[in-house]
Amino acid sequence: MIKSLFLAGAVASLALAGSADAQLVTNKDLSVTMAVTIAQTAVETCKAQGYNVSAHVLGRAGEVLVAMRGDDTGPHTLENSMKKAWTARAQRAPSVNFANAVKQNPTIGALHLTNMVPAQGGLPIMVGMDVIGAVGVSGAPGGDKDEACAKAGIDKVAAMLK
Amino acid sequence: MSTSDFRIAAIALAGALTCAIGAGADAQLLTHKDLPVATATTMAMAAIDACKAQGYNVSAHVLGREGQVIVAIRNPAAGFATFENSMKKAYTARTTRAPSGKFAETVKGNPNAAQFFLTNFVAAQGALPITVGNDVIGAIGISGAPGGDKDEVCAKAGIDKVAAQLR
Repeated sequence: MIKSLFLAGAVASLALAGSADAQLVTNKDLSVTMAVTIAQTAVETCKAQGYNVSAHVLGRAGEVLVAMRGDDTGPHTLENSMKKAWTARAQRAPSVNFANAVKQNPTIGALHLTNMVPAQGGLPIMVGMDVIGAVGVSGAPGGDKDEACAKAGIDKVAAMLK
Repeated sequence: MSTSDFRIAAIALAGALTCAIGAGADAQLLTHKDLPVATATTMAMAAIDACKAQGYNVSAHVLGREGQVIVAIRNPAAGFATFENSMKKAYTARTTRAPSGKFAETVKGNPNAAQFFLTNFVAAQGALPITVGNDVIGAIGISGAPGGDKDEVCAKAGIDKVAAQLR
């Protein structure tokens, strides 16, 4: 009886091992050069418009790939740019979507998670439908202006995001 | 002298002293030079590229005058501890105003060196102070090469790249 139970277990394991989950996942990720280009382009684009901003580029797991403190920026902008990027990465959507969701529902659960911020200026970095990271910008007078600079950063490397 | 007279005299004396101090050099605002983000980014990337050219993947930090992060770059091809380590090396170089390798030597001679127990200090070579004349305006830290001496060479390449601007 016991032996047959073991056998049944072994058969079940083999069945699982044979499924698609048993294969390693293959991911594409940002290189250091691309991440720096995105952040630097975002900072310089805003600077050209007269706005000093800080920027963060995060990777697939939300890890910091690049943190960039702009000249003469408020000390909070570095943190805020990270949180906007985190929000965009976590939700796989522009951080403004979360800002709008919080307007509708101020007690929305995700607002109480670490690093979430209901503020525009963070965009996911995509390869097709796959979110491989995010860029966040903070310091311009208005999240829409931050977001435009974040987009400029992504656009700069668009040809390589495939 | 009554109590109130004494108080007035004391206030007058304090006021005179304040004026005396106020007239001193300390009353002027401090003027110093700092790294722009463009220069800091150029330094960090020059260091990463210099190590890459030698076959080493490294992460880099450039810190400013107050030890604040100006640029932090994680190299996904380097070990994940290198990001933190490059920051700590730079912090050590900034605050001791000397190459972090010097602090490593100090700890070898005295494993209980008090600074070793402060946050962000690390006894490891690979970071250099960024100076304008004798003024330390920041530091660059590198981590990931097989040996702190090799990290330091790349840190120096980063500083050398912008040497003309450091004045």
